Amino acid sequence: MFSVHLREIPRTISFRTALMSLVLFSCSFLALFGYLYWQTAGYLLAEVDTALYRQIDSRSAQPEDLRLAEIRKHSEQDIDGRLPHGLYDAQGQLIAGAIIKMPASKVYDKPAEFNWKQPKKNKRPVRFILHRLDNGQTLMVAQDIHDIREFDELLVNAMVSGGSLLLVVGLLGAVGLGYAARRRLDVLTRSIERIVKGDLNERLPTRGNRDDIDRIATVVNQMLDELERLMSEVKGVCDDIAHDLRTPLTRLLAGLERAQRRHLREEEYQAAIDNAIEDAQGLLSTFRALLRISEIEASARRSSFAEIDLNRIAADAAEFFEPLAEERGIELTLNHAPAPCLIFGDAQLLFDATCNLLDNAIKFSPDHSRVQVAVMDTPDKRGLCVVDNGPGIPEAEREAVFRRLYRSESSRHTAGNGLGLSMVAAVARLHDMRLEVQDAQPGCRIELIVSA
Amino acid sequence: MTHVLVVEDDPATAREIEAALQDHGFDVTHVDNGREGLVRAISDSYDVIVLDRMLPGALDGLGMLTALRASGIATPVLILSALSALDERVRGLRAGGDDYLTKPFEFIELTARLDALSRRRVAPSEERVNRLRVGNLELDLLKRSVKRGERTVELLPREYALLEYLVQHAEQVVTRTMLFEAVWNYAYDERTNVIEVHMGRLRRKVDGDGEEPMIHTIRGAGYVLRSPA
Repeated sequence: MFSVHLREIPRTISFRTALMSLVLFSCSFLALFGYLYWQTAGYLLAEVDTALYRQIDSRSAQPEDLRLAEIRKHSEQDIDGRLPHGLYDAQGQLIAGAIIKMPASKVYDKPAEFNWKQPKKNKRPVRFILHRLDNGQTLMVAQDIHDIREFDELLVNAMVSGGSLLLVVGLLGAVGLGYAARRRLDVLTRSIERIVKGDLNERLPTRGNRDDIDRIATVVNQMLDELERLMSEVKGVCDDIAHDLRTPLTRLLAGLERAQRRHLREEEYQAAIDNAIEDAQGLLSTFRALLRISEIEASARRSSFAEIDLNRIAADAAEFFEPLAEERGIELTLNHAPAPCLIFGDAQLLFDATCNLLDNAIKFSPDHSRVQVAVMDTPDKRGLCVVDNGPGIPEAEREAVFRRLYRSESSRHTAGNGLGLSMVAAVARLHDMRLEVQDAQPGCRIELIVSA
Repeated sequence: MTHVLVVEDDPATAREIEAALQDHGFDVTHVDNGREGLVRAISDSYDVIVLDRMLPGALDGLGMLTALRASGIATPVLILSALSALDERVRGLRAGGDDYLTKPFEFIELTARLDALSRRRVAPSEERVNRLRVGNLELDLLKRSVKRGERTVELLPREYALLEYLVQHAEQVVTRTMLFEAVWNYAYDERTNVIEVHMGRLRRKVDGDGEEPMIHTIRGAGYVLRSPA
């Protein structure tokens, strides 16, 4: 199932990168080898030329008879024809030396080459210099350069075979890399396809070696975690909404149907209508609260942020709730910070959040207990907290209470829509605040802490 | 009779608003776009305008409002909107709106606010009034003191603010949300039961033993301050 079509390989980035580096490497290989070749071959020939000039110099400086004798003697000794000489008269006829026929070239004192055919031997490449002597004769000194040629050839052969090997290995490497990349991407693609089809539990495979693809896969996996969390939250909210709204809707419908069924007197109809309106208004307010949370979470409201004093927020909220607390004999105290506690935020939202916390605190506290609102303004903690002496929130429920429409078992029978703390959580998120639930022993302490 | 211009493009909502306002005793004219609304508002005289924020066509709610104010028409405008974000509210009020109501709303809330807006027009607030009087209840706005007949009513600052608002809107239904917005200066609140407690306290102080009650609760709506018959 992991088969990779060969024609797909050239499209992979790995293959293209490998190919590109192969081309670059080949170019530098050619350049390096060319330079080496040019340098060594040129050096060897230059050495030959220097030797030839030296001989021309020494021979032409010799007296005529000595020169003749030496050339004859040299020709006899140099059987292999390594350094053949030739001495010719003005008509080009050989006087002495190994090379019988003077080469056709008539350029004097410049190195030239020709293929020398020795009797009973193969032609051999020879480098020579012609020099016209004072007496009209022509002196030719030459050197067999067969070895140099062979060395050159060797060098070129080495280059060609090395280069071919390089190309073959490089191409194979590129194909291999392309194949590997393609395979790995195929695995990723298949995972992504499964996710697209709706399997949000699927995660991209990682190798743990922190390479490029691994890093992307890790980030994508984090994104998927978040996505899954959001999806399950949305699903949870949908379920909760469906469940929570069914109850009042059923009640509403039951009331209306009862009114329809029975023959009521006018004031009984009036009462039925009033009840229906009340239920509908309750539903509407739940929707409003839900919409409001969504709006806060869309975090478009940062534009209305300004510098506000938490002391003022706490004082306003405490003052607003004071009569409610008094009615129940609850002692509501306000501990504000000694100096204005200025933060950047939305006064309206923070007021609403504080009110929600206070509302809960008073709602769940027994009569004649205490509720406290405090502004914390110390170097290591700035924020607002509400403490009550109520039943508190069990450790296990401290995360859940911030979920939309969540009602803990103990609060099922108190009034409310289960959105108060969700709203507080949304406000906290918008303000980059930490929301912490602690045990006040007994009771509950909820802190809204400004992140440093 | 109070003449209301309703600019609302959704026919169902418009029909409901029209019915609710007519039942309340308003004379209602309805148009469904900003251009026509602007023409009507400039050529006819209305006591108050109900304006939907989102309107089809070139002229939306805010555009129409801006044009209206630019033409020097000061008719009070209540903006209706599905956008409840505070920014939207501020933008609406800044463009010249006098009040802002978020959909979905309750019609009792709408009529109460329209009452307040149209009444405000009858008695312009520029006039300096130092004393307000309803029946035998008298408020001294400078000293912030209250007397009912010969009896001095001792009020906390917030209670005084509540009473002042009620007196300013005497004989009108005032919703809890209106009270909250006017007295606490925070917008939008669902915690109306807390307002009830505040009002309960105020009522105990204003309507003493043996006195004719002045603060009346309108079920499902709010309160009204009436001078004793």
